[in-house]
Amino acid sequence: MRRLSQPAVYFVALLAVAVTIAPVIYVVIGGFRTTAQINADPAGFPDPWVWDKYGQVLGSPAFWQQALNSSIVALVTTAGVVMLGVMAAFVIARYSFRGREAVFSLFTAGLLFPLSVAIVPLFVMLKNLGLLSTLAGVAIPQIAFQLPTTIIILVPFLRGIPAELEDAAMIDGASRLGFFWRILLPLSGPGLVTVGVLAFVASWNAYLLPLLILGNPKTATLPLGVQYFATAYSQDTAAVLAFTSIAALPAILFFTIAQRRIVGGLTGAVKG
Amino acid sequence: MTAAPLTRPLRRSRRRGRALIIGFLAPALVVYLTFVLLPVGLAAVYSFFNWNGLSALDRFIGFDNYARALADPVFQGAIGHNLAIVGLSLLIQGPIAIGVALLLNRPLRGRTIIRLLIFVPYVLSEVIAGLAWKLLLQPDGPVDGVLQGMGLGGVVQLWLADQNVVFWTLFFVLCWKYLGFAIILFLAGLQGVPDELSEAAQIDGATWWQTQRHITIPLLGPTIRIWAFLSIIGSLQLFDMVWILTGGGPVNATTTMATYMVQYGFQRSQLGYGSAVAVILFIVSLIFALLYQRFILRRDFGASLTRGVS
Amino acid sequence: MMNRRSKLVAVSAAVTLAVGALAGCSGSQGGGDGKVTITWWHNGTADPLLSLWDGVARDFEKSHPNVTVKVEAYQNEELQRTLIPNALRSGSGVDLYQQWGAGELASQVEAGYVMDITDDVTDELDAIGGTAAPWQYQGKTYGLPFQFGIEGFWYNKDLFAQAGIDTPPTTLDELYGDIDKLKTAGITPIAVGAGDKWPAAHYWYNFALKSCSPAVLQKAQSDYDFSDGCFVKAGELLQQFIDSKPFNDGYLATSAQQGAGSSAGLLATGKAAMELMGHWDPGVMGGILADENGGEAKAPDFLGWFNFPGIEGAQGDPTAALGGGDGFSCAAWAPKECVELLKYIDSVEVQSKFGESGAGLPVVKGSESSIADPNLQQVLAGLHSASYVQLWLDTAYGPTVGGAMNDGIVALFGGKGTPDDIVKSMEDAAATL
Repeated sequence: MRRLSQPAVYFVALLAVAVTIAPVIYVVIGGFRTTAQINADPAGFPDPWVWDKYGQVLGSPAFWQQALNSSIVALVTTAGVVMLGVMAAFVIARYSFRGREAVFSLFTAGLLFPLSVAIVPLFVMLKNLGLLSTLAGVAIPQIAFQLPTTIIILVPFLRGIPAELEDAAMIDGASRLGFFWRILLPLSGPGLVTVGVLAFVASWNAYLLPLLILGNPKTATLPLGVQYFATAYSQDTAAVLAFTSIAALPAILFFTIAQRRIVGGLTGAVKG
Repeated sequence: MTAAPLTRPLRRSRRRGRALIIGFLAPALVVYLTFVLLPVGLAAVYSFFNWNGLSALDRFIGFDNYARALADPVFQGAIGHNLAIVGLSLLIQGPIAIGVALLLNRPLRGRTIIRLLIFVPYVLSEVIAGLAWKLLLQPDGPVDGVLQGMGLGGVVQLWLADQNVVFWTLFFVLCWKYLGFAIILFLAGLQGVPDELSEAAQIDGATWWQTQRHITIPLLGPTIRIWAFLSIIGSLQLFDMVWILTGGGPVNATTTMATYMVQYGFQRSQLGYGSAVAVILFIVSLIFALLYQRFILRRDFGASLTRGVS
Repeated sequence: MMNRRSKLVAVSAAVTLAVGALAGCSGSQGGGDGKVTITWWHNGTADPLLSLWDGVARDFEKSHPNVTVKVEAYQNEELQRTLIPNALRSGSGVDLYQQWGAGELASQVEAGYVMDITDDVTDELDAIGGTAAPWQYQGKTYGLPFQFGIEGFWYNKDLFAQAGIDTPPTTLDELYGDIDKLKTAGITPIAVGAGDKWPAAHYWYNFALKSCSPAVLQKAQSDYDFSDGCFVKAGELLQQFIDSKPFNDGYLATSAQQGAGSSAGLLATGKAAMELMGHWDPGVMGGILADENGGEAKAPDFLGWFNFPGIEGAQGDPTAALGGGDGFSCAAWAPKECVELLKYIDSVEVQSKFGESGAGLPVVKGSESSIADPNLQQVLAGLHSASYVQLWLDTAYGPTVGGAMNDGIVALFGGKGTPDDIVKSMEDAAATL
């Protein structure tokens, strides 16, 4: 690679990062001020640095309960989506059968429905199934709505695993199931991580569905909590900023940890 | 990736093969049908009724809801805004993202950190991002403060209150949120471009720009096409961010089909009407998706690896 | 303090109007062991209301040992547009819930969700008088109000003095004059939270009130008949008012109550001279300033109040007033103890506590002496001397017509749309009912 005006590249990179991060930094730092400070000078620095607001948020049991709820729902959603998705993508990608195109199109069509379309009937259905006010009532529809993205990413990815591997496994006496379990799954690690992370982030940030199912702030997930907090304390800007920062943290941390895998996973998906 | 047909007969496993397919496909299919397709179908049913959500579903009015929506200038405006965002996203986010990705696709100190930071907006929930920007864009708020500090006080507008400016403010925030995703996607795609090609081109005397233009970018084709598809669909379904930032206003300057559905359907207690708008939204997305798949994505997904089971 | 529709919450509110979360709380149980639970939802998410209702619940439990009261506070818009309709539709989850009356009450009654308490509250109705009307439907009572007040201009006495205004205006022409004086003194005359729509709409409501006779207004409410020319006249008066440019910059995106940038905030921090708002405004302003006051929610000292000015030659009743309030209803499936709790809330004892707290204006006769704030006393006096009180028009007409009306009015504020358009959109919306 030719080193072409490295400073120019760094400049672009830093500019991109600055514009990207500045608002986030503002929110985080805002939590260290009092509302009075913010009212007086919206763009200033904390003077003095106030820990109360963050303390208020971290000390509230409601916050931890909501974080726990968000975690449970996100983990269940992710596990469900990845399992169901990889199984379905496996057969769609590598085996021809009648109706395969139709099934794939069916799943693809799912990308076209925003959740808001299905909300009213979904509520009635969940009520009839007794799933209202349960975390399962949030996780299962989330799994369903996340399947299209997952399958669309996994199908080309799984197709990329060479046929010879499967042939070799068959010759060695393995069943298709064995091939799936012992060879394909490990090989599709990056792809699975990609869809897993996407599912986790989507679930963690989901707002509409939990609102629909989990009305009580005590059973709410974090985005709901942010909004409840923001409205209940709408006049306490600093506290809202603090709550918002903390609520954003888990998704960012999770992504940091999984970041390398994601790019790797996306690479695989895109190559296919 | 080969297309060699399966040669081993393994006829005895035909039934087992079919069982495998059904067994593997069923769970996903059942969950999907029950919790996505069925509700959407029901929503379509609701769209033919005049229903306020509280009473029984008994006032059938046929296509009246659809006629009303399509004739409403506010809804037409919403469609216009959606289409504008589709176009602007492709024309503006695309090239910028490709450009930044190309520049970042080289050994850089702190490359991982930079990539991480650029992706952060995408990871934030829309509620959080919307809240943050709303606070930032207040009159005499932080953004105005920074602009004035840089001596650009004359640039300051009523970002969210001026009907002529608010649409562009919205688009800016959308770019902020989704540019990182595009950049990361393109970076991933660039991993698939072999170094040998660009090195060979350099040996042949091509400039950096020529290399990008004639080799790298075309090889990025599949990635660009996927990104464009996701971008189009996302732009058509836009809701959360718009709702939090502007509520579709002021005076319907930033409505989208989805915010219209919420504002005129749910907020006004007319769920049948809201469902009709939702169905229209779906149909518009479907048309785009079908056209896109037929004309653009066909060559990517068309050739398929077939493994005969029977 | 009554927090009304905040934009942020409109997200949840809007989308899940008739759908939505059912709170995890269980409904009431009339058990074999005689133990009863009442789930109570209200919108007082902050003090003084939060502590007040909590205290009321605990006191009620003391006097009714077999009853447990689960009291929960939710943000106003969410409560009104999401949580309550959902709970009602699913037939459980709440027993005693906040009730704003009129159009909403009517559709709930029609769907069979509300308990008819007519026979149980005859004493309370006597004590409350006419303001109970919005909580009644077709001759029967389905709820009781706990606060009611009329609207007027809250203003900054210091800023007025600075601009050389000695007494608040009593006519529209005087108001125009005062606006000019304020502008000359470099003060923003009026803050309006048009971003939330309803604060802007209230201007039209008041002009309509001044232009239309009570008979026309009542017919409009019962039959959705807006054919009288007075409604267009109201729009023309509003257009004139907007053209005089009395508002803060960027008012189309200003919220009503959220933070220092809201219209209440602008008034509270001395950045604007007045605001047309309901009787909860001092409480809201106190909340915004609480941080600076060391956590105590206290309205600024410079606050004064005056009635919406009269209009010379207008057709409406000059002593009519625009107002609204809050109340509670019992769900149809609630235990009978729910009615007892409601009656307790409307007892002179609790209403006096309510008045003392400064949260708002109590409705029950005998509790008026508890009101300490002279501004609120003024509002109360205005309420009592009004010959006719019209409920907020958007509440009165229900969400379908009300929503269309508010949007039409905001269009006028935005320089689009005409006075005729407002009436037309209301009539079109009514036709779809």
